Amino acid sequence: MSAKPSLTKTKIIGVSRDGTLDYDKLEKLLNGRVIYRENHINAPAFVIRPDAVQDTLTLLRDKAGFDHLSCVTAQEYEDRFESIYHLRKYSKPKHELGIVVPSPRDNPWNQSAEPVFKTANWHEREAFDLVGIHYEGHPDLRRILLPDTWQGHPLGLDYDQNKPQIIALKEHENPLADLENDTMFINIGPHHPATHGVLHLKTVLDGEHVLSVDPDIGYLHRCEEQMAQGLNYRYQIMPYPDRWDYASAGLLNEWAYARAAEDLASLEVPEYAQIIRTMGAELCRICAHFLAVGTFALDVYGDFTAIFMYAMRDREIVQSILEDLTGQRMMFNYFRLGGVVWDLPEPRAEFLDKIRTFTDGVPDGIKEYNNLMTSNEIFQLRCIGIGILSPDVARQYGVTGPVARASGIDYDLRRDDPYGYYEHLNWDVITNNGCDVYSRFLVRLGEVEQSAKIIDQCVSLLESWPEEDRILQSNVPRTIKPPLDAEIYRAVEAAKGELGVYIRSDGTQKPARFKIRSPCFSNLSTLSEMAQGGLVPDLIASLGSLDIVLGEVDR
Amino acid sequence: MTFFFLETQTPLVDAISQIFGLDSTLGLIFSAFIGAFLIGNIMLISAAIAGPWAKRKITATFGDRIAVNRLGPLGLLIIVADAIRLISKELIIPEGVDRPSWDIAPLILPFSALLGFAVIPMGGNLQLADPETGLVFVFAIASIASLGVVIAGYSSNNKFSMLGGLRAVAMNIAYEIPLIVTAASVVLFAGTLRLSEIVAAQSDPLLIIAGVAIPSWYAFINPFAFILFLVANLAEIGRNPFDIPEAPTELVAGYITEYSSVYFVLFFLGEFLHIFLGGAIITTIFLGGASAPISSLSFIPGFVWFLLKIWSVFLFTQWMRASIPRLRIDQMLEIGWKGLLALSFVNLIFTAILVGVIG
Repeated sequence: MSAKPSLTKTKIIGVSRDGTLDYDKLEKLLNGRVIYRENHINAPAFVIRPDAVQDTLTLLRDKAGFDHLSCVTAQEYEDRFESIYHLRKYSKPKHELGIVVPSPRDNPWNQSAEPVFKTANWHEREAFDLVGIHYEGHPDLRRILLPDTWQGHPLGLDYDQNKPQIIALKEHENPLADLENDTMFINIGPHHPATHGVLHLKTVLDGEHVLSVDPDIGYLHRCEEQMAQGLNYRYQIMPYPDRWDYASAGLLNEWAYARAAEDLASLEVPEYAQIIRTMGAELCRICAHFLAVGTFALDVYGDFTAIFMYAMRDREIVQSILEDLTGQRMMFNYFRLGGVVWDLPEPRAEFLDKIRTFTDGVPDGIKEYNNLMTSNEIFQLRCIGIGILSPDVARQYGVTGPVARASGIDYDLRRDDPYGYYEHLNWDVITNNGCDVYSRFLVRLGEVEQSAKIIDQCVSLLESWPEEDRILQSNVPRTIKPPLDAEIYRAVEAAKGELGVYIRSDGTQKPARFKIRSPCFSNLSTLSEMAQGGLVPDLIASLGSLDIVLGEVDR
Repeated sequence: MTFFFLETQTPLVDAISQIFGLDSTLGLIFSAFIGAFLIGNIMLISAAIAGPWAKRKITATFGDRIAVNRLGPLGLLIIVADAIRLISKELIIPEGVDRPSWDIAPLILPFSALLGFAVIPMGGNLQLADPETGLVFVFAIASIASLGVVIAGYSSNNKFSMLGGLRAVAMNIAYEIPLIVTAASVVLFAGTLRLSEIVAAQSDPLLIIAGVAIPSWYAFINPFAFILFLVANLAEIGRNPFDIPEAPTELVAGYITEYSSVYFVLFFLGEFLHIFLGGAIITTIFLGGASAPISSLSFIPGFVWFLLKIWSVFLFTQWMRASIPRLRIDQMLEIGWKGLLALSFVNLIFTAILVGVIG
């Protein structure tokens, strides 16, 4: 079985004439491997045997064009364990398919998808860590979010949360010993100026050349999924998404939850609220991208110098707009299921003017960054051709967001799987074929400009919106109880990529399983591909260009 | 009294012994100590203003900020607060450091920089010694600093420090040779290694434009060498784009990682003294030393001009730090060996031809 996706241009099976997916043909393609079909709200799912995972996924990838394994969800039922592989197409994200793999409770196992999709490596490690399913044939089935010495699997049904975890300091030490040859083992992080949080890179160096990098994550793990499972849909979950990607991308995260939950409970969102949502989300994207630009400059320049402060200065304007809108600078908690919590602040005209002034200044601001950075020869020396991530590798690792778009993958859920008000607005998806650190930087700058364009159009709409039509929330029941056993996976385009939420309902007002698909998590897993063979500064530049937020990686 | 030193032409040490009436050999040695104390303190005060206050203010201005403004006028008293803070911190000695080299390293850096100032003419007679080989001496002394960096990197028992130390060595050779070869081109013009004579050689007017005489500073005579030297000097003092041995975002400050409290202060101080020493060398061999740029301004004491010039060089380094990315070590070596070295030799040969033809 080859690990590389086949590049031959064979006819893609399973697409009917009108461009929609034909699940019967897909089932036929799988040739009896499908035991029965489940209906998830986002797309049908095929239930297969645990030993047929690799065959099924290979067929779907090579013959049916499902080249994006966006998420792996694992969960425990009263009678069985289950892994769900959420498949998509990079070229057509609306073509979705779930592959459900049940396995017995007394011996939870299934074949690993890692040989087919590299991204399954980390996702299955997480599933093993939190739920306890064993993946046969996985090359490296270690815990990923929790320490190696952790007892039990926290999302399992029989896990005792009150049992204290006793971890001896000795067993929990960072490894220091050198390997038995001329290489040097070095711990970059968890406390290091360039790891953007508490990330630990176990690095092996030969001189200054990076031989291997093994990111050790989980320092910021709070088990947000478990927290969400203990809270009700209507009021209690919404504040938590703000804490995933806390680098001011809060509204984008809230939208991920809102989108999944609204579709699960069939809630409508009024048009007016959609426009406010779109505007707020794009403001957040600008904030997040400015932070990415600033911290990347910090990594390459080496100090809190001019560029970092310029980025912070520009971001501050957006932050104050968001503060006016939501009342908060960081943990916005502004979305509600079925709409937003309140209207634009008064005086309305003044607020909209403030946004206008900002968006009008964005093109000049971008010019300044281009003068200072992208046209600087030393900056180009440091960035062009560094941290190469070819499109094929990127697809294998489930890379999304600006990182994928800088590898030439034209994938943006705002356009391809429309939500909110995006489809009615005029904007472009920025892509770049450079595949390197430099193009990632350019894509982010380009996206800031596009976001400003979107915001501008939203402001125009809001200015002329008739006063009597300003409906902020649809009629949402006080308690939301989605139907029993309804399952949904929905994603939005967050600042870092595809931020997905999987929810399974058990008929109560709390989710039975809440799974977060974090874009940073998948993007970070490419770091070793990018950094191998480069120098330490290239490793730092590559890491900076991925723009990870550890709160979202670790959740 | 200070003004007296600025006016008189007697060498500094002799002048001191005259004032205090110390004529014996012992008296001369004592006077020399006083002189060294004076020069040393001038530079230490410069570094003290630069480190905790000026650097912050300059960086903040480049980054659209305000920086220290709470203590005293313009926040100047932060210097006192910082001094107390830095000295009162705990000195942490990590396990497994190689003593006493770990303790010696922080002393070498400020020591080498301070010693360099002994031969720098600062205007008037503010020059401790004026040996015939002044220029060679000052380069020799300034290079000792890399030794301190390597010792610190090696003895810290820290891999980041080790990498920083190794980077410093690799870099050192790449920029020292171009630095000295470029300086040699100035020597070809001046025909002497004695720093006071190099300064004196720059005092004649080069040309007169609209009644304003442009002095024959070597920066104007040979701007190419000046720029080359300025770049190599950035590497010598380890500032962007060449702050490779420290590289906070890669090596967590490299060789300084394990140093705290007073040892850290010594490194910090040494670095700033080094920037000023680099500035002093540039001032002496390219910017006409302590002389005024136009003769109508020469009523201002030379010492003031000298300070102004070395602070300009300091400002330049901070400007670079605020706006230029850091190079990678291999790129730096490439620039050093393939670029700076070749250019500095080209410059030397052309200067030699020029001097041979004109002189």
